[in-house]
Amino acid sequence: MPEYTPIPPASCVVVSGASRGLGLALATDALKRGARVAGFARTVTPELQALADAHPDDVHVAAVDANDSGAVAGFLRDAADRLGPLDALVNNAAVGQDSLHVHTSPERIGEIVQTNLTAPLLLTRAFLRRLTARGGRGRVVMVTSVCAQRGYAGLVAYSATKGGLDSAMRALAREMHGRVLVNSVAPGFFASEMSSVLGGEQLETITRRTPTGRLVEADDLTPIVGMLLFEDTNIHGQVLTVDGGSSI
Amino acid sequence: MNTVSRDEVRSMMGDVLAAQGKPLPADELTPLVDIGFRSLDFSELALRVEDETGDELNFDAPGLRRIETVGDVLDFLEQLQSA
Repeated sequence: MPEYTPIPPASCVVVSGASRGLGLALATDALKRGARVAGFARTVTPELQALADAHPDDVHVAAVDANDSGAVAGFLRDAADRLGPLDALVNNAAVGQDSLHVHTSPERIGEIVQTNLTAPLLLTRAFLRRLTARGGRGRVVMVTSVCAQRGYAGLVAYSATKGGLDSAMRALAREMHGRVLVNSVAPGFFASEMSSVLGGEQLETITRRTPTGRLVEADDLTPIVGMLLFEDTNIHGQVLTVDGGSSI
Repeated sequence: MNTVSRDEVRSMMGDVLAAQGKPLPADELTPLVDIGFRSLDFSELALRVEDETGDELNFDAPGLRRIETVGDVLDFLEQLQSA
């Protein structure tokens, strides 16, 4: 039996949707842990640009629409030219939903599926083709959602995409054998996104129903994604749910 | 686009409630919670209006959450048709 050699910690991490919120926090955390970071989003926010300016040799950022597969391929090429071989991917970019299925237009459903499922599948494909062609080993993390596991009104298309991504993650984990560790991290509801659409009373009710008594913050996710990207855990093909226990 | 008048929407709302054996109160300030008119009932009403107008009335949930009274329902469907 061949000797087991762990997948090395990530050295160059691609983060989609890196301009704000969780994506920005994950990019910043990967940098702190010693990796180089290639982050893209539809627009480069001042915060993401500041990260790039502060670490010009270790961070590559660009304004790229995740739905433009040609632009995404160009971004991966430029990032690898500048930072070196890409060996980790965090699929974070997504759009939300807050509408009952029967009142969501077919066009909007198509946009959600395109951005949250098709685009990350194509990004993952492009990333893995580059990695595989050079005989590399690496890690992929899908940021999915507790919505893939439980039913929540107003999130039908969104939930379908996140469940699809979790399923794809498991199949990919099989396809890539032990050469690429593939996992999902499934956050519960973020305090920020919930407070933007719900009233104070509803927010209080949801928080009360969460055993830990608090909704999810980006800082809850960074240690988990960091573990999957940098540590030798032997976790593969799994969904790690971070929701304060609200789904149990 | 064809539009359905406020009175016609009111009549349709009465039909939705009547199918559940509930009356539609005359007072537009009546809270929906008092008459058991839930979000799915609102969906049914909106889809009935769509059948009449021939156009879809798509909208996000936050707008729906602000609806609290019978009058709010009628106002919201008027706004959706004129949007």
